This record gives sequence, structure tokens and C-alpha cells, in this order.
Amino acid sequence: MKRYIWKRLLHLILILIGITFMSFALMHTVSTDTVDILYDQNGGANEAAAAARRASLGLDQDFFTQYASWVVNILHGDMGNSFVSGMPVFTMIMDKLPTTIELMAMALGLTLLISLPLGILAAIRKGSIWDQLVRLLSFTGNSLPDFFIAIILLYIFAVKWHVFSFLGTSSSMLPILPALTLAIAMTAKYTRQIRAVFLDELSKEYVQAALSRGLSYQFVITRYVLRSVLAPLLALLAVSAGSLLGGAAIIESIFLWDGIGKLAVDAIMMRDYPIIQAYVIWMSLIYVGVNLLSDIVCRFLDPRIAAREKED
Amino acid sequence: MNNKFKYLITALLGASLLVSGCGSDAGKTAKEEGKVFHYGTMAYGPAMQNASTDPHDTYCGWSTIRYGVGETLFKFDNEMNVQPWLAESYEQMDDYTLKIHLRDDITFSNGKKVTGEAVKACLEDLIKRNDRAPHDLKIDQITADGQTVIIHSSEKVPAMIHYLADPYGAIIDMEAGIKDRIAVGTGPYVAIKVTDQGIELKKNEQYWGQTKPKLDKIVVRSITDGDSLSMAMQSGELDAVQGLPYASLPNFQDTDKYNISSAATSRVYQAAMNFKTPALQDNRIRKAIAMALDKNTFANVLLNGNGVMATGAFPDTTPYGKGLNGPGYDPEQAKTLLKEAGYTETDSDGYVIKDGQPLTLRWLTYTSRQELPLLAEYAQSALKDIGIKLDVNATDNYKDFLKRGEYDIYAQAIVTAPTGDPEYYLMSKIYSGQPYNNGHYNNPRTDAMIDELHNTFDAGQRIELARQIQQQVLDDNAVWYASFLKMNIVMKKNVTGFSAHPCDYYEITPELDIQ
Repeated sequence: MKRYIWKRLLHLILILIGITFMSFALMHTVSTDTVDILYDQNGGANEAAAAARRASLGLDQDFFTQYASWVVNILHGDMGNSFVSGMPVFTMIMDKLPTTIELMAMALGLTLLISLPLGILAAIRKGSIWDQLVRLLSFTGNSLPDFFIAIILLYIFAVKWHVFSFLGTSSSMLPILPALTLAIAMTAKYTRQIRAVFLDELSKEYVQAALSRGLSYQFVITRYVLRSVLAPLLALLAVSAGSLLGGAAIIESIFLWDGIGKLAVDAIMMRDYPIIQAYVIWMSLIYVGVNLLSDIVCRFLDPRIAAREKED
Repeated sequence: MNNKFKYLITALLGASLLVSGCGSDAGKTAKEEGKVFHYGTMAYGPAMQNASTDPHDTYCGWSTIRYGVGETLFKFDNEMNVQPWLAESYEQMDDYTLKIHLRDDITFSNGKKVTGEAVKACLEDLIKRNDRAPHDLKIDQITADGQTVIIHSSEKVPAMIHYLADPYGAIIDMEAGIKDRIAVGTGPYVAIKVTDQGIELKKNEQYWGQTKPKLDKIVVRSITDGDSLSMAMQSGELDAVQGLPYASLPNFQDTDKYNISSAATSRVYQAAMNFKTPALQDNRIRKAIAMALDKNTFANVLLNGNGVMATGAFPDTTPYGKGLNGPGYDPEQAKTLLKEAGYTETDSDGYVIKDGQPLTLRWLTYTSRQELPLLAEYAQSALKDIGIKLDVNATDNYKDFLKRGEYDIYAQAIVTAPTGDPEYYLMSKIYSGQPYNNGHYNNPRTDAMIDELHNTFDAGQRIELARQIQQQVLDDNAVWYASFLKMNIVMKKNVTGFSAHPCDYYEITPELDIQ
């Protein structure tokens, strides 16, 4: 296990070097930089001011000097300051992290609350009207884009029923509506996955054997089948958590939820390289970290995985 | 089954309580705190570099002025003429010296009097910390005596009072300092909380002006998604919004519920002809292009009425934008001009030919302003009607194409008079050899007039010169000006004293009230 973890951490270093270089290079393929955008959106400024600003941000240096300087700073634990706000990038990300985690936790919680019962219902009542209905909902949820669901929910809850406020701050609100928006889209995928895995397990011999030994259907489902479903469900959750920790920019923007996704999209629009680079590192860490954690938990939940590896 | 049903009902009630927890408390707040005004805007936030009321920090002065926290020595009226504000009067002592007499009755919101020394300290901090001010103002030395401030510049700056009206010139109390992004200004409102998401303001009880502020509290909220902004207004939570997308404006046409205030800004959509392109060196071709494009279609159809047709570089609400004559829309005359220029035949596709070659031009633009690709498509269709083939290149890598010279017409949207003075635009966009003169336009007569403008301090003469320069540009058909962009503020019917201003610096004023 230790060897496995070390191997994954080594992969992480290689991933970080490759991905930060690539993102840095891609950003520099665009001919407009932060200074162009900042001055243009505010009505322009004279060339001397733009040149001085560019020099103060180090944007007048060549690509390799800029990248090398960024790497040296990162190795000293300094993510730099935002080109736009001038604030330390690390502080900015840490400020947004709690709201992003809150939204992620609630979205995943709601997704499980809705998709688990629906997926199981569709599986144990396969072919019934319930199954058809769940599949219809799943198709519908898959076809609707996030922003469309968000606008419909906002129209109903904010414009018509007045139970959602635009004026509250993130700290005084629960992210029910943005979480519900994300949950609706994810539920559509989760329900189908849970149904498929559940059906697969139900058809296995050990289930038939347990039932023929006289164990109750409910007991077999809760003690055996549900446990088998947990491992693939956890892998799915790991991917979703990774994606949500990276932020849901459009949803955050629509619901005025001040998270990491919005920070990243704003940074991309403004060519705010230090934030974009920090975001790239953050996403790499999340994906490697969450997958590693999911693998470890899966081994704990399903000892057959470790046993299989030993046999190999 | 009964138990299950109970659980379901309990869960639903719990969920609805949670949702209700997000409910608005705006009504309650309004009763407890007096008159509260809720304002949603797309123009505030870290991405706009204005999430503070410290005017010396990048573009934060826009928030200082817009939300009534600070005031400048001079301000722009509705025709963009400069008028004294905190200043009482001024004298141009010589080409390098400006003497400003301050009003004697002004206090900061903390009660301290605004003196010459206080203004000197503020301006010194401005040129020390702001990125643009030192390059604009070119201040060498400031001296103060009583209510008088004398500014010595290292170069001639005829537009000095215009620059002092830029929001970065908001006068704040430097002794009070900046705490939690809050500056102490002289405006009708005082910032009490400033965050990335918005600003909360309270009435300045000691406001010096004759008109006293009428609202007890103002909440400015940054809403950067157009649909959310529109729905926040429709839900009734906001009293006014700025920056609604054009597509949302029809939701607020009910004049029993809403008022819309519009003003043409100096952001112009223009197309510069590249004088290095052989075909465009012939003025008849440039004029034909200008006559084939209908500004009315762009401003009123494509921009859905949110544009104001342009003649020159500045709106005709400004003194230097009046009395200009450019070629009007006349496609038949455009065809005649092409014939006169030697394009007498057409190929099987209907494009005009000269010496066996069709007249094909490259139209370069970018996409970050949503209206520019629309303009490009329209131009492609309109120029086809007179036989010119247009290859559109709408790319955010436009700078690379500009550097390589791979364009014949470059269309962009720019603010031509951010500080109400025409010199900056004419010097950077029209003067020969300047890097932003993308059309490589070069007319010694025009250059001489711009040189004269740079050395002229008299306001009347500057207006006249600016007009003459633009008329020359129009006569040369060097730049085609399509339209100015309108800025809209949508407000509830009961909001008074709130209107859009051409330079979009002034939003919250002492006149603002809720009936």
C-alpha cells in the first residue's frame, strides 16, 4: 500500500510539471494580456502607463524567464499576487475554499439523497412504471444544461415565490438552490449507474443463494447488495467531488456564490496568470488526492480488491 | 405506510424551512434602518479593479465617485464640459502652472475641513501610488496655501483639469488613511462595509452640499450574470440595476413599474481603413465602403436600439462632436465610386473586378465585445451588395494580426473621451506613426492640427480644433464611425434623482431618493 501511495505521489510531481508548463504556454499563445484587458475595459490609458504596468508585473519578459521565475517562487512557497487585485493568490484561494466545499458537500449530499433511492427503486422494480418514470427523469436531467436548470429554479424560487434572496451574502445563506441545480444534473447520471450496478449484483449467484437459504429480501439488499454498490458509487463520487472542488463557475456566477470556479473563470477572462497557475495546481492535487483517497477507502470497504492484487 | 408518509412530509417541511432561510430580509431591514436603496450592478468587483473606495488604487476611484463616497476638484456636466466641483475656480498661470481655488465650505465625512494642504497630500499620494495618474498629470510639484493649490507640471498638460476630474482624482482625507478598503471622502454617502461582493453605505450627516442625501442606507451588490441581474430586479429585491444585457431590457418596458434612463457613452464602434492596403489608398474606395454601410441598421436593428448613430469619434452631445459631416448611406453612389475607381466589371459571383482581380478585403475584429462580430457580419453582407468581397477574421488573437499587418479594415470598440477631452484619442489613434493608429493614416495637415491642439489651452479653441481634425479624418474616410454605445439604468417607478450619465462616473448623488 505504501509503495502504491509513493508511486502516485511521484506521478503527481510529473503531472504538476507537465500541466503547469502547458497551461503557462497556452496562456502565452494569446496575444492580449492582463494589461490590455484591464485598460480596455476601463476606457484605455496611455502607452507609458501600460508599459510601466506591464513591467511591474513582469509581463515584458520572455516566456521562459516568466515561467522560471514562477517556478522558483512556487518552490519557495509563494504563489504570487493576482495581477488584477494585487492580493496574494494563496489567500484568495483559501478565502473561496470554504464556500466551494460547502456547495460541494450539499450538492453531493442531495445527489445521494435523491439518486440512491431512485436507482434502487428502478432496479428492484425493473420494468415497472416506477422504473420507466425514473429512466424518463434521468434522460430529462441528462439533457438539460446546468444553467438552464439554474434559471428555472431562480425564476420559481426568487422571482415568483420570493424564497431566495440575491442580496444575502455567501456566509448568511445555505447553498440550497445552487446545490439543487448541481444535484439534479448529477442525479440523472447517478441514478442510471446505481440502477445498472444494483441489477448486476441482483443477478449474481450469491444473492440467489442467500435468498434460497431463507434470508429476507430486505436483509439481502441492505447487508450484501448495497455494500457491493458502495465501491463503484464511491469512485463516481470521487470524480464528482474533484470536479466540484474545482468549482462550478456558471452556477456560482448565476447564484452569486463566491467560489473557486468563479475565481478561475474570472482569472481566465482577465489573463490573471498567477491565479490560473494556482488553480491548475489545485485541480491536479484534487484529482490525484481524491482518487487516491477513493482507492484507499474502496480497499477498506471491499477487501476483495486487495486480495485480487495480492493474487496477481 | 402512514409512518413513511409522515417522514416524507417532515422532510419536505424541513427542506422548505432551509430554503426559507435563504429568504430576503430586505423588507425588515428597510423598516428598521429607514430608507434603504438596493442597487445591483455589473460594473463592480475585483475583475473590474474597483472593489475598494481607495481612489488611488488602480480603478477603485470609479467606485468612490459612482457610489457617492468621494468627489473630484472638477466634474463633467451632461455635455462633458468640465465644471468646478470641490474647486471654486482655477487659473492657468502659464503653460506649466495651474492655480486652483478651493471652496471654503467643504468638509470630509469625518467633519475635517478640506484645505489646500489636504488636497496637496491627496494628490501627492495619487501620483505616488496610481498607475495612470503620473503619466496623465505629469506633476512636478504641488504647493498649497490656505484654500489655494498650485500644480506645476513638467510638461504642457492642456487637459489637466480634465484629468483632475478622472475618478482617481477624488479628494480623500489622507490623515484618516484607508481602513478595510474604506476611504474618507467628501461625498453624500459614507462607505461602512466594502467587500469583493459589494459596498454598504450610509448617509453622510455632515454633507457640505446644498442638496442633502435622502437615503439612510444604500446596498450596492455586484451581480455579474446578466440573467441573475434581470431576475433580481424582477423579483423586486433591487430598486435599480446597471448593465442589464440588451436582451433583458424588454422585461422592463412596463412604464407603470419601471423607468429606464439611457445615455450615449463615448464608447464608439469604429472601423479604421488600412492605408498600407493598395486598394484602400484610393479615397473613392474608402468612401464607397463608408457609403455602403448603414449606421442606422447597426445602431437600431443589430444593437436593438441600444446604439446612437455616430458621425465622428465623439458623441454629438459633446461640444467637439457637433457640426460634423460624413458620407451618408448611399449604396448606389458607392457603386458609382467603385466604377470611377476602375472597378467596371463583375465576376460570376457579383464581385467587382479591376485588371482581372476581384476587390477582396480582410476585416479584422475581436469577439470580447459581442457587438463586433455582428458588425462584421453586417459589413460582409452590405459590402457584398456593392460588389466588395469581405473576409471576416473575428479573433481574440487580433493583436498578432495587427502586428503582422494582415488586415485591411480593423474594427474595434473604444472609449474615445474617458476624461472628456478629445486629445488622447486623436493623438493615439489618428496622429501618424502612433502605435495605436492601426490604419497607418498619415496626413501632415491633420498632424499639424493635433500638434496645435496639444499646445492650446483655450477651451473654445480646443473644441474648434478637435472638430476640424475629425472633419479632416471624415473627409479622408480614414475611419468609419458606426455607433456609440448606450448605457442603461433600469429603476423602479418610485426611484427619483437617478439617471445615466455619458461618462458613467456619476451614479449615486444626493438627489437620489425613493418615494
